[in-house]
Amino acid sequence: MARSCFSKVDEYGFERPDDFDYETYEDFMSQYLIVLAKRAKKWAELIGEGKSLKRNLTVKRYVRKGIPGEHRGLVWLTVSGAEALRDEWGSDFYQKLLNGPMNQDIVDIVRTDLPRTFPDNIFFSAGENHQQQLYNILVAYAHDNHEVGYCQGLNYIAGLLLLVTKSEDTTFWLLKVLVERIFPNYYTRTMDGVITDIDVLDELIRLKIPEVHRHVASVGLPWAVITTKWFICLFAEVLPIETVLRIWDCLFYEGSKIIFRVCLTLVKRNQGSILQCKDFSSLAECFKEITRDSLVIECHDFMQSIFKVPGSLPLNLIVKLRTRLAQQRQNQMRSDRVWTWHIP
Amino acid sequence: MANRSGAQRPNGTQGKICQFKLVLLGESAVGKSSLVLRFVKGQFHEYQESTIGAAFLTQTVCLDDTTVKFEIWDTAGQERYHSLAPMYYRGAQAAIVVYDITNQDTFGRAKTWVKELQRQASPNIVIALAGNKADLANKRMVEHDEAQGYAEENGLLFMETSAKTAMNVNDIFLAIAKKLPKNEQVTGAGTSGQGRRLVESEGQQKAPGNCCK
Repeated sequence: MARSCFSKVDEYGFERPDDFDYETYEDFMSQYLIVLAKRAKKWAELIGEGKSLKRNLTVKRYVRKGIPGEHRGLVWLTVSGAEALRDEWGSDFYQKLLNGPMNQDIVDIVRTDLPRTFPDNIFFSAGENHQQQLYNILVAYAHDNHEVGYCQGLNYIAGLLLLVTKSEDTTFWLLKVLVERIFPNYYTRTMDGVITDIDVLDELIRLKIPEVHRHVASVGLPWAVITTKWFICLFAEVLPIETVLRIWDCLFYEGSKIIFRVCLTLVKRNQGSILQCKDFSSLAECFKEITRDSLVIECHDFMQSIFKVPGSLPLNLIVKLRTRLAQQRQNQMRSDRVWTWHIP
Repeated sequence: MANRSGAQRPNGTQGKICQFKLVLLGESAVGKSSLVLRFVKGQFHEYQESTIGAAFLTQTVCLDDTTVKFEIWDTAGQERYHSLAPMYYRGAQAAIVVYDITNQDTFGRAKTWVKELQRQASPNIVIALAGNKADLANKRMVEHDEAQGYAEENGLLFMETSAKTAMNVNDIFLAIAKKLPKNEQVTGAGTSGQGRRLVESEGQQKAPGNCCK
Protein backbone atom coordinates (compact mmCIF):
# COMPACT_ATOMS: atom_id res chain seq x y z
CA MET A 1 0.00 0.00 0.00
CA ALA A 2 1.36 3.40 -0.89
CA ARG A 3 1.67 6.00 1.84
CA SER A 4 -1.71 7.15 2.89
CA CYS A 5 -3.23 10.46 1.97
CA PHE A 6 -4.35 10.67 5.60
CA SER A 7 -2.08 12.40 8.05
CA LYS A 8 -0.60 10.89 11.21
CA VAL A 9 -2.99 13.04 13.21
CA ASP A 10 -6.74 12.78 12.77
CA GLU A 11 -9.13 15.73 12.53
CA TYR A 12 -9.69 15.71 16.31
CA GLY A 13 -5.97 15.90 17.04
CA PHE A 14 -5.35 12.25 17.93
CA GLU A 15 -2.16 10.70 16.70
CA ARG A 16 -2.94 7.58 14.76
CA PRO A 17 -1.29 4.50 16.25
CA ASP A 18 1.66 2.88 14.48
CA ASP A 19 -0.45 -0.10 13.51
CA PHE A 20 -3.29 2.06 12.15
CA ASP A 21 -4.94 0.31 9.22
CA TYR A 22 -4.84 3.05 6.59
CA GLU A 23 -6.08 0.74 3.87
CA THR A 24 -9.33 -0.16 5.61
CA TYR A 25 -9.76 3.43 6.67
CA GLU A 26 -9.30 4.75 3.15
CA ASP A 27 -11.77 2.27 1.75
CA PHE A 28 -14.27 3.37 4.34
CA MET A 29 -13.64 7.10 3.97
CA SER A 30 -14.01 7.04 0.20
CA GLN A 31 -17.62 6.01 0.77
CA TYR A 32 -18.24 7.91 3.97
CA LEU A 33 -17.21 11.28 2.53
CA ILE A 34 -20.09 10.98 0.09
CA VAL A 35 -22.47 10.29 2.97
CA LEU A 36 -21.07 13.23 4.92
CA ALA A 37 -21.53 15.61 1.99
CA LYS A 38 -25.11 14.48 1.55
CA ARG A 39 -25.90 14.78 5.26
CA ALA A 40 -24.29 18.23 5.45
CA LYS A 41 -26.63 19.46 2.73
CA LYS A 42 -29.68 17.98 4.45
CA TRP A 43 -28.74 19.48 7.80
CA ALA A 44 -28.12 22.87 6.24
CA GLU A 45 -31.67 22.80 4.96
CA LEU A 46 -32.99 21.70 8.32
CA ILE A 47 -31.35 24.27 10.53
CA GLY A 48 -30.27 26.98 8.13
CA GLU A 49 -31.30 30.61 8.21
CA GLY A 50 -32.66 31.11 11.65
CA LYS A 51 -34.75 27.94 11.72
CA SER A 52 -34.98 26.58 15.21
CA LEU A 53 -34.36 22.95 16.00
CA LYS A 54 -36.98 20.95 17.85
CA ARG A 55 -37.24 17.34 18.89
CA ASN A 56 -39.40 15.51 16.36
CA LEU A 57 -39.28 12.35 14.27
CA THR A 58 -37.50 14.01 11.37
CA VAL A 59 -34.75 15.33 13.61
CA LYS A 60 -34.46 11.96 15.33
CA ARG A 61 -34.01 10.29 11.96
CA TYR A 62 -31.45 12.89 10.94
CA VAL A 63 -29.56 12.40 14.18
CA ARG A 64 -29.40 8.65 13.65
CA LYS A 65 -27.77 9.29 10.28
CA GLY A 66 -25.12 11.49 11.88
CA ILE A 67 -24.81 15.16 12.82
CA PRO A 68 -22.20 17.09 10.80
CA GLY A 69 -19.18 17.95 12.92
CA GLU A 70 -19.70 21.70 12.73
CA HIS A 71 -23.22 21.44 14.16
CA ARG A 72 -22.62 18.80 16.79
CA GLY A 73 -22.22 21.05 19.82
CA LEU A 74 -25.32 23.04 19.03
CA VAL A 75 -27.52 20.07 18.15
CA TRP A 76 -26.39 18.08 21.19
CA LEU A 77 -27.23 21.06 23.41
CA THR A 78 -30.71 21.37 21.96
CA VAL A 79 -31.86 17.78 21.63
CA SER A 80 -30.49 16.67 25.01
CA GLY A 81 -32.18 19.40 26.98
CA ALA A 82 -28.84 20.85 28.08
CA GLU A 83 -29.77 24.19 26.59
CA ALA A 84 -33.03 24.29 28.56
CA LEU A 85 -31.05 23.40 31.66
CA ARG A 86 -28.69 26.30 31.04
CA ASP A 87 -31.61 28.67 30.57
CA GLU A 88 -33.03 27.43 33.85
CA TRP A 89 -29.81 27.86 35.85
CA GLY A 90 -28.64 31.01 34.17
CA SER A 91 -26.08 31.53 31.47
CA ASP A 92 -23.45 32.76 33.96
CA PHE A 93 -23.80 29.69 36.17
CA TYR A 94 -20.63 28.02 34.93
CA GLN A 95 -18.58 31.16 35.33
CA LYS A 96 -19.89 31.63 38.87
CA LEU A 97 -18.80 28.12 39.79
CA LEU A 98 -15.32 28.85 38.51
CA ASN A 99 -15.15 32.00 40.59
CA GLY A 100 -16.24 30.20 43.75
CA PRO A 101 -14.00 28.69 46.44
CA MET A 102 -12.22 25.46 45.52
CA ASN A 103 -11.74 22.29 47.53
CA GLN A 104 -8.05 21.39 47.50
CA ASP A 105 -8.61 17.61 47.36
CA ILE A 106 -10.67 17.97 44.20
CA VAL A 107 -8.15 20.33 42.66
CA ASP A 108 -5.34 17.83 43.35
CA ILE A 109 -7.13 14.79 42.01
CA VAL A 110 -8.18 16.55 38.82
CA ARG A 111 -4.67 17.92 38.31
CA THR A 112 -3.24 14.42 38.57
CA ASP A 113 -5.43 13.23 35.73
CA LEU A 114 -4.94 16.20 33.40
CA PRO A 115 -1.67 15.15 31.76
CA ARG A 116 -3.01 11.58 31.74
CA THR A 117 -6.00 12.53 29.57
CA PHE A 118 -5.41 12.01 25.85
CA PRO A 119 -1.61 12.41 26.10
CA ASP A 120 -1.40 11.46 22.42
CA ASN A 121 -3.73 14.26 21.32
CA ILE A 122 -2.03 17.37 20.05
CA PHE A 123 -4.60 19.66 21.70
CA PHE A 124 -3.99 18.09 25.10
CA SER A 125 -0.23 17.69 25.05
CA ALA A 126 1.67 20.05 27.30
CA GLY A 127 1.37 23.73 26.58
CA GLU A 128 -1.97 23.51 24.80
CA ASN A 129 -4.85 25.28 26.48
CA HIS A 130 -7.25 22.34 26.31
CA GLN A 131 -5.66 21.03 29.50
CA GLN A 132 -6.50 24.22 31.33
CA GLN A 133 -10.02 24.25 29.90
CA LEU A 134 -10.56 20.62 30.86
CA TYR A 135 -9.33 21.44 34.35
CA ASN A 136 -11.86 24.25 34.63
CA ILE A 137 -14.73 22.07 33.47
CA LEU A 138 -13.95 19.13 35.73
CA VAL A 139 -13.32 21.25 38.80
CA ALA A 140 -16.43 23.35 38.22
CA TYR A 141 -18.54 20.24 37.78
CA ALA A 142 -17.13 18.55 40.87
CA HIS A 143 -18.08 21.61 42.91
CA ASP A 144 -21.51 21.80 41.33
CA ASN A 145 -22.36 18.18 42.00
CA HIS A 146 -21.02 17.04 45.36
CA GLU A 147 -22.57 13.63 45.06
CA VAL A 148 -20.43 12.91 42.02
CA GLY A 149 -17.42 15.09 42.61
CA TYR A 150 -14.73 13.88 40.25
CA CYS A 151 -14.98 10.38 38.84
CA GLN A 152 -12.20 9.03 36.65
CA GLY A 153 -13.66 8.54 33.21
CA LEU A 154 -15.31 11.95 33.20
CA ASN A 155 -11.94 13.33 32.08
CA TYR A 156 -12.25 11.40 28.82
CA ILE A 157 -15.90 12.33 28.32
CA ALA A 158 -15.40 16.02 29.02
CA GLY A 159 -12.16 15.95 27.03
CA LEU A 160 -13.90 14.60 23.97
CA LEU A 161 -16.83 17.00 24.37
CA LEU A 162 -14.30 19.80 24.46
CA LEU A 163 -12.54 18.58 21.32
CA VAL A 164 -15.87 18.58 19.49
CA THR A 165 -17.47 21.75 20.82
CA LYS A 166 -14.31 23.80 21.45
CA SER A 167 -16.27 25.54 24.20
CA GLU A 168 -15.88 25.18 27.97
CA ASP A 169 -19.39 26.38 28.68
CA THR A 170 -21.06 24.05 26.16
CA THR A 171 -18.98 21.14 27.43
CA PHE A 172 -19.98 21.85 31.01
CA TRP A 173 -23.71 21.74 30.22
CA LEU A 174 -23.42 18.65 28.06
CA LEU A 175 -21.47 16.94 30.81
CA LYS A 176 -24.09 17.93 33.34
CA VAL A 177 -26.92 16.55 31.25
CA LEU A 178 -25.07 13.28 30.62
CA VAL A 179 -24.16 12.71 34.24
CA GLU A 180 -27.42 13.80 35.83
CA ARG A 181 -30.15 13.05 33.32
CA ILE A 182 -28.98 10.46 30.84
CA PHE A 183 -26.81 8.34 33.15
CA PRO A 184 -27.89 9.08 36.72
CA ASN A 185 -25.92 7.14 39.38
CA TYR A 186 -23.18 6.09 36.95
CA TYR A 187 -20.52 8.38 38.36
CA THR A 188 -21.50 8.62 42.01
CA ARG A 189 -19.27 7.24 44.77
CA THR A 190 -20.83 3.78 44.66
CA MET A 191 -21.29 3.71 40.88
CA ASP A 192 -24.52 1.79 41.38
CA GLY A 193 -25.95 2.85 38.02
CA VAL A 194 -23.04 1.37 36.09
CA ILE A 195 -23.09 -1.86 38.05
CA THR A 196 -26.84 -2.23 37.53
CA ASP A 197 -26.62 -1.50 33.82
CA ILE A 198 -23.86 -4.09 33.39
CA ASP A 199 -26.18 -6.60 35.06
CA VAL A 200 -28.95 -5.48 32.70
CA LEU A 201 -26.68 -6.06 29.72
CA ASP A 202 -25.75 -9.49 31.07
CA GLU A 203 -29.44 -10.35 31.25
CA LEU A 204 -30.18 -8.93 27.78
CA ILE A 205 -27.39 -11.04 26.29
CA ARG A 206 -28.79 -14.09 28.09
CA LEU A 207 -32.21 -13.39 26.56
CA LYS A 208 -31.13 -12.36 23.08
CA ILE A 209 -27.87 -14.19 22.37
CA PRO A 210 -28.06 -17.21 24.71
CA GLU A 211 -25.33 -19.19 22.99
CA VAL A 212 -22.78 -16.44 23.57
CA HIS A 213 -23.98 -15.98 27.12
CA ARG A 214 -23.49 -19.66 27.93
CA HIS A 215 -20.08 -19.72 26.28
CA VAL A 216 -18.74 -16.63 28.02
CA ALA A 217 -20.04 -17.94 31.34
CA SER A 218 -18.34 -21.29 30.79
CA VAL A 219 -15.02 -19.58 30.08
CA GLY A 220 -15.52 -17.61 33.27
CA LEU A 221 -15.16 -14.06 32.03
CA PRO A 222 -17.67 -11.75 33.76
CA TRP A 223 -19.44 -9.22 31.54
CA ALA A 224 -18.43 -6.52 34.00
CA VAL A 225 -14.77 -7.20 33.28
CA ILE A 226 -15.43 -6.83 29.57
CA THR A 227 -17.74 -3.86 29.56
CA THR A 228 -17.02 -1.61 32.58
CA LYS A 229 -15.02 0.80 30.46
CA TRP A 230 -17.63 0.72 27.68
CA PHE A 231 -20.25 2.00 30.10
CA ILE A 232 -18.14 4.44 32.10
CA CYS A 233 -16.49 6.11 29.13
CA LEU A 234 -19.55 5.78 26.89
CA PHE A 235 -17.17 4.17 24.39
CA ALA A 236 -14.67 7.05 24.40
CA GLU A 237 -11.19 5.49 24.38
CA VAL A 238 -12.87 2.22 23.40
CA LEU A 239 -14.19 2.56 19.84
CA PRO A 240 -12.82 4.63 16.94
CA ILE A 241 -13.50 8.32 17.47
CA GLU A 242 -15.90 8.88 14.58
CA THR A 243 -17.95 5.90 15.74
CA VAL A 244 -18.02 7.24 19.31
CA LEU A 245 -19.34 10.58 18.10
CA ARG A 246 -22.03 8.93 16.02
CA ILE A 247 -23.06 6.97 19.12
CA TRP A 248 -23.12 10.16 21.16
CA ASP A 249 -25.34 11.81 18.52
CA CYS A 250 -27.96 9.19 19.33
CA LEU A 251 -27.25 9.17 23.07
CA PHE A 252 -27.99 12.85 23.41
CA TYR A 253 -31.26 12.41 21.57
CA GLU A 254 -32.48 8.98 22.65
CA GLY A 255 -30.83 8.40 26.00
CA SER A 256 -29.04 5.57 27.73
CA LYS A 257 -30.66 2.68 25.93
CA ILE A 258 -28.42 3.40 22.95
CA ILE A 259 -25.53 2.02 25.00
CA PHE A 260 -27.30 -1.35 25.22
CA ARG A 261 -27.95 -1.32 21.48
CA VAL A 262 -24.27 -0.75 20.81
CA CYS A 263 -23.14 -3.46 23.25
CA LEU A 264 -25.62 -6.00 21.89
CA THR A 265 -24.64 -5.23 18.31
CA LEU A 266 -20.94 -5.63 19.10
CA VAL A 267 -21.57 -8.99 20.72
CA LYS A 268 -24.04 -10.29 18.18
CA ARG A 269 -22.14 -9.29 15.06
CA ASN A 270 -19.01 -10.90 16.49
CA GLN A 271 -20.55 -14.00 17.94
CA GLY A 272 -18.63 -16.27 15.58
CA SER A 273 -15.24 -15.12 16.80
CA ILE A 274 -16.40 -14.97 20.43
CA LEU A 275 -17.56 -18.57 20.31
CA GLN A 276 -14.22 -19.66 18.91
CA CYS A 277 -12.29 -18.43 21.95
CA LYS A 278 -11.82 -21.38 24.22
CA ASP A 279 -9.99 -19.75 27.09
CA PHE A 280 -9.97 -16.68 29.26
CA SER A 281 -6.99 -14.93 27.63
CA SER A 282 -8.12 -15.35 24.05
CA LEU A 283 -11.62 -14.22 24.93
CA ALA A 284 -10.30 -11.10 26.68
CA GLU A 285 -8.16 -10.38 23.61
CA CYS A 286 -11.12 -10.97 21.32
CA PHE A 287 -13.17 -8.35 23.13
CA LYS A 288 -10.32 -5.86 22.63
CA GLU A 289 -10.09 -6.75 18.96
CA ILE A 290 -13.79 -6.29 18.19
CA THR A 291 -13.64 -2.67 19.37
CA ARG A 292 -11.20 -1.69 16.64
CA ASP A 293 -11.84 -3.85 13.58
CA SER A 294 -13.39 -2.76 10.30
CA LEU A 295 -16.88 -3.44 11.56
CA VAL A 296 -16.67 -0.53 14.00
CA ILE A 297 -14.47 1.67 11.83
CA GLU A 298 -17.27 1.72 9.28
CA CYS A 299 -19.34 3.89 11.56
CA HIS A 300 -22.21 4.62 9.20
CA ASP A 301 -22.97 0.98 8.57
CA PHE A 302 -22.38 0.16 12.22
CA MET A 303 -24.83 2.82 13.40
CA GLN A 304 -27.48 1.59 11.02
CA SER A 305 -26.99 -1.92 12.35
CA ILE A 306 -27.48 -0.98 16.01
CA PHE A 307 -31.14 -0.30 15.24
CA LYS A 308 -31.62 -3.65 13.51
CA VAL A 309 -29.25 -6.27 14.90
CA PRO A 310 -30.38 -6.38 18.55
CA GLY A 311 -34.07 -6.47 17.59
CA SER A 312 -36.73 -4.86 19.70
CA LEU A 313 -35.53 -3.17 22.87
CA PRO A 314 -38.36 -1.28 24.52
CA LEU A 315 -37.43 1.19 27.23
CA ASN A 316 -39.85 -0.38 29.67
CA LEU A 317 -37.96 -3.67 29.44
CA ILE A 318 -34.75 -1.90 30.43
CA VAL A 319 -36.51 -0.05 33.23
CA LYS A 320 -38.01 -3.28 34.54
CA LEU A 321 -34.68 -5.08 34.42
CA ARG A 322 -32.94 -2.21 36.15
CA THR A 323 -35.40 -2.27 39.01
CA ARG A 324 -35.30 -6.04 39.40
CA LEU A 325 -31.54 -6.44 39.15
CA ALA A 326 -30.76 -3.50 41.42
CA GLN A 327 -33.07 -5.03 44.00
CA GLN A 328 -31.44 -8.44 43.62
CA ARG A 329 -28.03 -6.89 44.12
CA GLN A 330 -29.18 -5.10 47.24
CA ASN A 331 -30.50 -8.35 48.67
CA GLN A 332 -27.30 -10.13 47.71
CA MET A 333 -25.17 -7.50 49.43
CA ARG A 334 -27.30 -7.76 52.54
CA SER A 335 -26.96 -11.54 52.69
CA ASP A 336 -23.22 -11.27 51.96
CA ARG A 337 -22.86 -9.00 54.94
CA VAL A 338 -24.61 -11.51 57.17
CA TRP A 339 -22.51 -14.28 55.67
CA THR A 340 -19.22 -12.44 56.21
CA TRP A 341 -20.26 -11.61 59.72
CA HIS A 342 -20.46 -15.26 60.67
CA ILE A 343 -17.07 -16.17 59.27
CA PRO A 344 -14.47 -16.11 62.04
CA MET B 1 14.59 -12.02 32.32
CA ALA B 2 11.17 -11.72 30.83
CA ASN B 3 10.69 -13.08 27.40
CA ARG B 4 7.78 -13.16 25.05
CA SER B 5 8.27 -16.51 23.46
CA GLY B 6 4.56 -17.19 23.74
CA ALA B 7 4.77 -20.55 25.44
CA GLN B 8 1.88 -22.84 24.72
CA ARG B 9 0.44 -25.88 26.36
CA PRO B 10 3.12 -28.40 27.33
CA ASN B 11 3.39 -31.67 25.48
CA GLY B 12 5.35 -33.38 28.16
CA THR B 13 8.64 -33.14 26.34
CA GLN B 14 9.55 -29.56 27.18
CA GLY B 15 9.66 -27.94 30.58
CA LYS B 16 6.64 -27.26 32.72
CA ILE B 17 4.26 -24.44 31.92
CA CYS B 18 2.28 -22.69 34.60
CA GLN B 19 -0.34 -20.04 34.25
CA PHE B 20 -1.18 -17.59 37.00
CA LYS B 21 -3.65 -14.81 37.43
CA LEU B 22 -2.06 -11.68 38.89
CA VAL B 23 -3.79 -8.46 39.89
CA LEU B 24 -2.33 -4.99 40.50
CA LEU B 25 -3.93 -2.84 43.16
CA GLY B 26 -3.13 0.53 44.65
CA GLU B 27 -4.08 4.20 44.79
CA SER B 28 -4.59 6.20 41.61
CA ALA B 29 -1.43 7.39 39.81
CA VAL B 30 1.09 5.33 41.78
CA GLY B 31 2.26 3.64 38.58
CA LYS B 32 0.36 0.36 38.30
CA SER B 33 -0.14 0.62 34.55
CA SER B 34 3.41 1.85 34.09
CA LEU B 35 4.81 -1.19 35.90
CA VAL B 36 2.78 -3.46 33.66
CA LEU B 37 3.76 -1.57 30.51
CA ARG B 38 7.44 -1.82 31.49
CA PHE B 39 7.13 -5.52 32.28
CA VAL B 40 5.09 -6.49 29.23
CA LYS B 41 6.41 -4.16 26.53
CA GLY B 42 9.60 -2.70 27.99
CA GLN B 43 8.20 0.79 27.55
CA PHE B 44 7.55 3.81 29.73
CA HIS B 45 5.32 6.80 29.10
CA GLU B 46 5.79 9.87 31.26
CA TYR B 47 2.02 10.40 31.13
CA GLN B 48 0.27 7.07 31.23
CA GLU B 49 -3.47 7.28 30.58
CA SER B 50 -5.64 6.72 33.63
CA THR B 51 -7.07 3.19 33.67
CA ILE B 52 -10.84 2.84 33.69
CA GLY B 53 -12.25 -0.46 34.92
CA ALA B 54 -9.24 -2.64 34.28
CA ALA B 55 -6.81 -3.60 31.54
CA PHE B 56 -5.79 -7.16 30.71
CA LEU B 57 -2.35 -8.17 29.51
CA THR B 58 -0.24 -11.29 29.50
CA GLN B 59 3.47 -11.90 29.82
CA THR B 60 5.59 -15.00 30.10
CA VAL B 61 8.74 -15.46 32.14
CA CYS B 62 11.15 -18.37 32.22
CA LEU B 63 12.29 -19.80 35.47
CA ASP B 64 14.77 -22.68 35.21
CA ASP B 65 12.78 -25.42 33.48
CA THR B 66 9.43 -23.75 34.07
CA THR B 67 7.62 -21.26 31.91
CA VAL B 68 5.32 -19.02 33.88
CA LYS B 69 2.57 -17.20 32.05
CA PHE B 70 1.07 -14.27 33.93
CA GLU B 71 -2.45 -13.16 33.14
CA ILE B 72 -2.31 -9.63 34.45
CA TRP B 73 -5.25 -7.52 35.54
CA ASP B 74 -4.28 -3.89 35.93
CA THR B 75 -7.05 -2.14 37.85
CA ALA B 76 -8.31 1.42 38.24
CA GLY B 77 -7.04 3.15 41.36
CA GLN B 78 -9.68 5.69 42.26
CA GLU B 79 -11.45 4.89 45.52
CA ARG B 80 -14.90 4.68 43.95
CA TYR B 81 -13.78 1.85 41.68
CA HIS B 82 -13.15 -0.16 44.83
CA SER B 83 -16.46 -2.02 44.61
CA LEU B 84 -15.35 -3.50 41.29
CA ALA B 85 -12.01 -4.76 42.60
CA PRO B 86 -13.14 -8.11 44.05
CA MET B 87 -14.04 -9.17 40.53
CA TYR B 88 -10.38 -8.90 39.63
CA TYR B 89 -8.69 -10.28 42.73
CA ARG B 90 -11.03 -13.21 43.30
CA GLY B 91 -9.32 -16.30 42.01
CA ALA B 92 -6.01 -14.45 41.62
CA GLN B 93 -2.94 -16.40 42.69
CA ALA B 94 -0.80 -13.30 42.99
CA ALA B 95 -1.18 -9.59 43.65
CA ILE B 96 1.14 -6.63 43.46
CA VAL B 97 0.05 -3.85 45.77
CA VAL B 98 1.67 -0.64 44.60
CA TYR B 99 2.36 2.64 46.39
CA ASP B 100 4.32 5.73 45.46
CA ILE B 101 7.40 6.30 47.67
CA THR B 102 6.89 10.06 47.37
CA ASN B 103 3.38 9.95 48.83
CA GLN B 104 2.67 8.70 52.35
CA ASP B 105 -1.10 8.45 51.75
CA THR B 106 -0.59 5.91 49.01
CA PHE B 107 1.35 3.72 51.45
CA GLY B 108 -1.59 3.82 53.85
CA ARG B 109 -3.90 2.87 51.02
CA ALA B 110 -1.59 -0.01 50.10
CA LYS B 111 -1.87 -1.37 53.66
CA THR B 112 -5.66 -1.28 53.34
CA TRP B 113 -5.43 -3.29 50.13
CA VAL B 114 -3.16 -5.85 51.78
CA LYS B 115 -5.64 -6.25 54.62
CA GLU B 116 -8.52 -6.68 52.20
CA LEU B 117 -6.62 -9.28 50.19
CA GLN B 118 -5.69 -11.21 53.31
CA ARG B 119 -9.32 -11.26 54.35
CA GLN B 120 -11.10 -11.76 51.07
CA ALA B 121 -8.80 -13.14 48.37
CA SER B 122 -7.67 -16.73 47.98
CA PRO B 123 -5.96 -17.90 51.18
CA ASN B 124 -2.74 -18.85 49.40
CA ILE B 125 -2.41 -15.67 47.36
CA VAL B 126 1.16 -14.44 46.97
CA ILE B 127 1.25 -10.73 47.70
CA ALA B 128 4.07 -8.41 46.71
CA LEU B 129 4.39 -4.82 47.86
CA ALA B 130 5.98 -2.45 45.34
CA GLY B 131 7.25 0.98 46.37
CA ASN B 132 7.24 2.58 42.95
CA LYS B 133 8.82 5.80 41.63
CA ALA B 134 12.08 4.87 43.37
CA ASP B 135 13.86 7.12 40.87
CA LEU B 136 12.37 10.10 42.71
CA ALA B 137 14.46 9.40 45.82
CA ASN B 138 14.87 13.12 46.59
CA LYS B 139 11.12 13.40 47.11
CA ARG B 140 10.89 10.29 49.22
CA MET B 141 8.21 10.30 51.93
CA VAL B 142 8.04 6.58 52.71
CA GLU B 143 11.22 5.09 54.15
CA HIS B 144 12.49 1.87 52.67
CA ASP B 145 12.92 0.27 56.10
CA GLU B 146 9.42 1.16 57.21
CA ALA B 147 7.91 -0.56 54.19
CA GLN B 148 10.30 -3.49 54.47
CA GLY B 149 9.37 -3.95 58.12
CA TYR B 150 5.69 -3.86 57.31
CA ALA B 151 6.17 -6.37 54.49
CA GLU B 152 8.07 -8.77 56.75
CA GLU B 153 5.42 -8.60 59.46
CA ASN B 154 2.78 -9.46 56.89
CA GLY B 155 4.67 -12.06 54.90
CA LEU B 156 4.80 -10.00 51.71
CA LEU B 157 7.46 -9.83 49.07
CA PHE B 158 8.83 -6.32 48.94
CA MET B 159 10.82 -4.27 46.47
CA GLU B 160 11.18 -0.64 45.61
CA THR B 161 10.68 -0.29 41.88
CA SER B 162 10.89 2.27 39.13
CA ALA B 163 8.81 1.78 36.02
CA LYS B 164 10.72 4.74 34.59
CA THR B 165 14.22 3.26 34.92
CA ALA B 166 13.02 -0.38 34.91
CA MET B 167 14.65 -0.92 38.30
CA ASN B 168 13.36 -4.12 39.93
CA VAL B 169 10.39 -4.38 37.59
CA ASN B 170 11.19 -7.75 36.05
CA ASP B 171 12.65 -8.78 39.38
CA ILE B 172 9.44 -8.36 41.32
CA PHE B 173 7.48 -10.42 38.81
CA LEU B 174 10.23 -13.05 38.86
CA ALA B 175 10.24 -13.14 42.64
CA ILE B 176 6.49 -13.76 42.55
CA ALA B 177 6.92 -16.47 39.92
CA LYS B 178 9.48 -18.18 42.16
CA LYS B 179 7.23 -18.07 45.16
CA LEU B 180 4.12 -19.40 43.44
CA PRO B 181 3.47 -23.10 43.96
CA LYS B 182 4.16 -25.03 40.77
CA ASN B 183 3.37 -28.58 41.71
CA GLU B 184 -0.30 -28.49 42.22
CA GLN B 185 -3.34 -27.40 40.41
CA VAL B 186 -3.51 -23.72 41.08
CA THR B 187 -6.02 -22.12 38.81
CA GLY B 188 -9.57 -21.15 39.53
CA ALA B 189 -11.67 -23.52 41.53
CA GLY B 190 -8.66 -24.89 43.37
CA THR B 191 -8.59 -21.70 45.35
CA SER B 192 -11.65 -22.39 47.45
CA GLY B 193 -15.19 -21.42 46.89
CA GLN B 194 -14.89 -17.68 47.28
CA GLY B 195 -16.29 -15.46 44.58
CA ARG B 196 -19.51 -16.99 43.61
CA ARG B 197 -20.03 -14.42 40.97
CA LEU B 198 -17.14 -15.18 38.70
CA VAL B 199 -13.88 -16.65 37.60
CA GLU B 200 -14.43 -20.08 38.96
CA SER B 201 -12.69 -21.61 36.02
CA GLU B 202 -10.31 -20.36 33.43
CA GLY B 203 -8.93 -21.67 30.21
CA GLN B 204 -6.47 -24.06 31.74
CA GLN B 205 -9.29 -25.75 33.56
CA LYS B 206 -10.00 -27.52 30.32
CA ALA B 207 -7.16 -29.82 31.30
CA PRO B 208 -7.43 -29.94 35.04
CA GLY B 209 -4.28 -30.38 36.99
CA ASN B 210 -1.97 -30.09 34.04
CA CYS B 211 -0.45 -26.84 35.11
CA CYS B 212 2.94 -28.24 35.83
CA LYS B 213 3.08 -31.80 34.73
